[in-house]
Amino acid sequence: MTESVITCRNVSKIFGPNPAQHLVQLKADPGLSQAGYVHAVRDVNLDVRRGEMLVVMGLSGSGKSTLVRCLSRLIEITGGSVTVEGRDIATLSESELIDLRRSKMGMVFQSFGLLPHRSVLENVAFPLEMRGQDRSTRYARAREMLELVGLKGREDYFPRELSGGQQQRVGIARSLAVEPDIWFLDEPFSALDPLIRREMQDEFLRLKGMMNKTIIFITHDFDEALRLADRIAIMKDGRVEQCDTPDQIVLHPATEYVAKFTSEIDRARVVHIGSLVAPLTAPATGEPVAAYRTIRDLARQLISDPRVEIPVINDKGAVIGSVLRQTALDVLLGDAH
Amino acid sequence: MKSIKTLLAGATSLVLLAPAVWAADSTDPIMIPLHNWSSQIVMSHVVGDVFTSMGNSVEYVTTDSQAVYESIRLGDASLEMEVWEGAFGASFDAAVAKGGIHAAGAHNAVTREDWWYPAWTKEACPGLPDWKALNECAALFKTPETGEKGRFLGGPVDWLKHDQEKVDALAMNFAVVNAGSAAAIWAEIGAAEKTKTPIVVFNWTPNFAEAVWPGEFVNFPEWVPGCNEDPSVGPFPDKTFDCGNPANGYMKIAAWDGMKDKWPAAYATLAKVSLTNPQIAEMAKLVDIDGMEPEDAAKAWMDANPDVWKAWLN
Amino acid sequence: MGRSERYAGTAKLLLALAVGLMLFKTVLPQGMIRPPEWLVLPFADWINAVFAFLQNDLGLMAVTRAFSDVVEWLLNVTANLLYGKSRWPNLGPIPWSVIAVTAFMAGYALKGWRLGLISGGTFVWIALMGQWKWAMETLSVIVVAAPFSVTLGLVLGVLAWRSPRFERVLNPILSIAQSLPHFAYMIPVVVFIGVGPKAGAIVTIIFSVPPMIRMTLLGLKKVPEEVIEAGKMSGATRWQLLTRARIPTARSEILIGVNQVIMQCLAMVVLASFIGMPGLGQKLLQLLQSLKIGLSVEIGVTIVLLAVTLDRLTKAWALRLPVHEAASPSWLIRNRLLVIWLALCALGFGLAHFFPYFLEVERKQALSVAGPIDALMDQVIRLITPVTLWLRWFLITWVLIPMRDAYLWLPFTAVLLLLAAVGWAIGGLRSALICVAYFGLIAASGWWDRAMITVYMVCISVVIAAILGIPLAIWGARTPIRAGRILLVCDTAQTFPSFIYLIPVIMLFGVNDVAVVAAVVVFAAVPMVRYTIEGLRNVPPEMIEAADMSGATRAQVLWHVRLPMALPTMLVGANQSVMFSLFMVIIAAFIGTQDLGQEMQRALSSTDVGKGLVLGFAVAFMGLMTDHLITRWSETRKRALGI
Repeated sequence: MTESVITCRNVSKIFGPNPAQHLVQLKADPGLSQAGYVHAVRDVNLDVRRGEMLVVMGLSGSGKSTLVRCLSRLIEITGGSVTVEGRDIATLSESELIDLRRSKMGMVFQSFGLLPHRSVLENVAFPLEMRGQDRSTRYARAREMLELVGLKGREDYFPRELSGGQQQRVGIARSLAVEPDIWFLDEPFSALDPLIRREMQDEFLRLKGMMNKTIIFITHDFDEALRLADRIAIMKDGRVEQCDTPDQIVLHPATEYVAKFTSEIDRARVVHIGSLVAPLTAPATGEPVAAYRTIRDLARQLISDPRVEIPVINDKGAVIGSVLRQTALDVLLGDAH
Repeated sequence: MKSIKTLLAGATSLVLLAPAVWAADSTDPIMIPLHNWSSQIVMSHVVGDVFTSMGNSVEYVTTDSQAVYESIRLGDASLEMEVWEGAFGASFDAAVAKGGIHAAGAHNAVTREDWWYPAWTKEACPGLPDWKALNECAALFKTPETGEKGRFLGGPVDWLKHDQEKVDALAMNFAVVNAGSAAAIWAEIGAAEKTKTPIVVFNWTPNFAEAVWPGEFVNFPEWVPGCNEDPSVGPFPDKTFDCGNPANGYMKIAAWDGMKDKWPAAYATLAKVSLTNPQIAEMAKLVDIDGMEPEDAAKAWMDANPDVWKAWLN
Repeated sequence: MGRSERYAGTAKLLLALAVGLMLFKTVLPQGMIRPPEWLVLPFADWINAVFAFLQNDLGLMAVTRAFSDVVEWLLNVTANLLYGKSRWPNLGPIPWSVIAVTAFMAGYALKGWRLGLISGGTFVWIALMGQWKWAMETLSVIVVAAPFSVTLGLVLGVLAWRSPRFERVLNPILSIAQSLPHFAYMIPVVVFIGVGPKAGAIVTIIFSVPPMIRMTLLGLKKVPEEVIEAGKMSGATRWQLLTRARIPTARSEILIGVNQVIMQCLAMVVLASFIGMPGLGQKLLQLLQSLKIGLSVEIGVTIVLLAVTLDRLTKAWALRLPVHEAASPSWLIRNRLLVIWLALCALGFGLAHFFPYFLEVERKQALSVAGPIDALMDQVIRLITPVTLWLRWFLITWVLIPMRDAYLWLPFTAVLLLLAAVGWAIGGLRSALICVAYFGLIAASGWWDRAMITVYMVCISVVIAAILGIPLAIWGARTPIRAGRILLVCDTAQTFPSFIYLIPVIMLFGVNDVAVVAAVVVFAAVPMVRYTIEGLRNVPPEMIEAADMSGATRAQVLWHVRLPMALPTMLVGANQSVMFSLFMVIIAAFIGTQDLGQEMQRALSSTDVGKGLVLGFAVAFMGLMTDHLITRWSETRKRALGI
């Protein structure tokens, strides 16, 4: 098991006049609902592993944005604990917290959160400026970041002169400027048009491939979550309903709520051969298929393949097991039963 | 050309006075207060120009004409060129009592303030300036707000002119309406002039108004000391205020106590300043009739009257 | 629904009680007709005692004098630069041509040719009309006072934003401060600072701070949460967050605050001539006092032009959005405006050196339009005198004197009950208590009769303003062009220094309440017209289209759709109208009134701080009470209309 970068234990967040007291009352009477109090995050336990991309998915009001703000202590939690790199962040002093953010964290926001009075370059250089880096160093780094996100030549523009997609590229460049280990993205593409969103997702996957970061990505778009995630945490009413890989969520939804989400999904596009692998019962015969391919990728082959059992290889070419053609066809065509 | 002459005269006096001036007067500016009537402004500029020609620096500051005595007392302003007995006597005396201010000199002028009418009024009421004749013409002066009574337009209430008491004592068929400012009185006279409407208002001399609108004061029973307090004094034995205002009030020059030590030469000059009614009216006229700026009016007056101001110098 | 019905019931009961008191006035004890002596509290003595303590025992005098010395020093610097007063740094005066060119370039850089011409043209006008020195005396104070106000407002605004408790304390103080008449500010300043330019500057600073505080607070509260979070996630400390994220992001609101500060400064600096502030205001006062209407109008025009210029320049600055510069390697091209400006300034200095005309236009060389204006004024007065005479007679005999007597006849207890009834009808117990508290304090101040005269004049003026203004606004709201023209007239009428109207109304109506009401109506009508036009023009077009399609006539559309929808906005106008009237009634004491304003004027000339402030508070309370009632009512209407 890889180590956990962020650990949440029983994290709760209550908004209201006296949250701590309300939490105590809730312990005694879990069904309590009192006017003036909003229980945004309830008893969340989560481990974010180093280098993985965890997508937190939920509809609006599910508490996903609050949760991610608890992880960076933009919001103080009411109960439980959040540990980042082994340190309980609630115990950090203000300057330690600032240090942590300056060196380890980056965040991208839904409405970009750019400073309107600063040029693109100055916006990207902002976190470096906060760290006190000298002007030429931080501008050089900011230019590098802007080139990375494809905004070379727009350095002197002001945010309002850019399109939404371009503004979010600036937001991304800014969040990456300090080379954070942990990268938070709060619905980064939700404010964009569908076409641009798709383009930005591709862009994001490209960037993600170039670096090795722990990523927490918030979205309300299940397709987006499936497309990008290593693991997905589905939230409802402040609780995490299920946290697992896309394949597992699609194949084995833990709750009815999750099942409702997955029912509309073309599972064949999500499920990889690898997640259906079973140990070989007989020596492999014929052409193997690669574990990273989705069922949809192999649809033609699956339908026409006469074999009952198809061997599966990993990315190194070694056979890791086989998949039953029937199982794969079930995913592709929907359950027969 | 004239201003060059003034300059020369100034320079001459500067040379003559130089040792004394440089030996004593402070280089801080002498603060001369200005008020809202032109003779005072012009006179202040004349004296200021004389001070400047003596090598002093001078600064003008606009102040309220009642509050100025408090300012002088505290040294914020250095002097006051026109202390009218009727209008500012009370404020001046109060400040003197508190200390810090004194009369440095007096003008050779009489001040008078009383009921007054512009010339065209007399055509409608030929018996003027006698007050009984005025009373008989009361209907000429009636206005909607005073009903059947004639209107007398008094100065602001805080001038404390006892006009109402006078009306009561003399049983006049007039109602007193108080204007809120001197400007309000001028505006009324100005408006009345356009239609030659009879009007009787509070006015005083010396004043620019007498140059703009020729007119006369109403002749009330002569002022006798005590007529305002003692009923037996005056024509009506059971009334107070049964008389006009004093027809010859003083006009003094006030100075800050510290002025004598700080600018001794300027103070010595100030003490010699003394102007007459025609001279003061002339100053007001240059501004109010001839439309000069006060600064220019001061220069023009000095050019026209070199003997007067040069006499202050030594 | 039930609530408002209950309100109406109690309100009716209170109204009946009030009417009862009026009917049985003859049998009422004197103590119920006029505030009894035990109720009248010596507020003025208390305030004077506090001030005497501050001044003598606490030695605050030394502090204020020290502060005023700093202000004075700065004033001397600007005075030297702008009109060559012989003080350090002894560089000035800057030639008028240079300042005009600078104003032009500033306008051009901020908004383009038009603004450039307006601002440059203003200074050319000032110079050519021979008003340069007076205008510079005025500006030299604004140049010092505005930065002080802005800084003070910014600091207080940030503090109020940081500490909600401080905000809660500050808010009512600001409300009162913004409804105190100008003169109430002047008296304490005269006591602590004295008279003259520095007193003018300081009263201007104090007077213009409140809007800056409000706008700073508003701006800081409006900064998007995500911008703050982005700043925090960038590792910004609180200070960095404030100075590099919050304040710059609130730039627009803060600059609108700066704009309001400058406008307030200009308004106050003119009025401060009453406490010895030299410059345009003082000149205007002198000219008015010698009935030089034409020359006064010239100065009035200068003040309007200055106001327009300063307003447009700062607004353009506030609303300017950053635009990137096309990348250009050449320093000269990137800074071309700076270079042009420097070149023009050099040219100006050169011209001024060789031709004194470009340094300062002397009075003798100045142009003037005073002659024709005076002649016009003469003609107008002659022409309309019969009308004004009749109007004066009619208003005095049939409207003003009866109304005034009625207001004075009312027992004060009946007035309090009446206000309670109105308050209850509009906002229930809380509003009723607020109304009674405000007027109860006025009763306790001992100025009941005078306060009632002020109330009477304000009421009459606002009603007349509504009768004249609303039809005009309805007519004006028909087409955008008309609306634009009427609004321009409104802006001009309002920007003219208030006391410029005093003399013409006396010449038209004489020294009496008609003149006062006429002067006040000018000010009261402006917001009425402005907000009515705004309200009518902002009615959603779908609604009017829907009414048209239902076959409504123009009058029906107006009566059933446009006016009801515009009512909340019109109420805002009425509210401002009352505010403006209150201020103007106080200033109209210079015509001659028997109300609070007259006493205020006396307090000013005898520097009686306690009395001045008590009178000021009495006026402020009237304003605040109206503000409360109208705001409540307008909110209820808005909620009913769902807007």
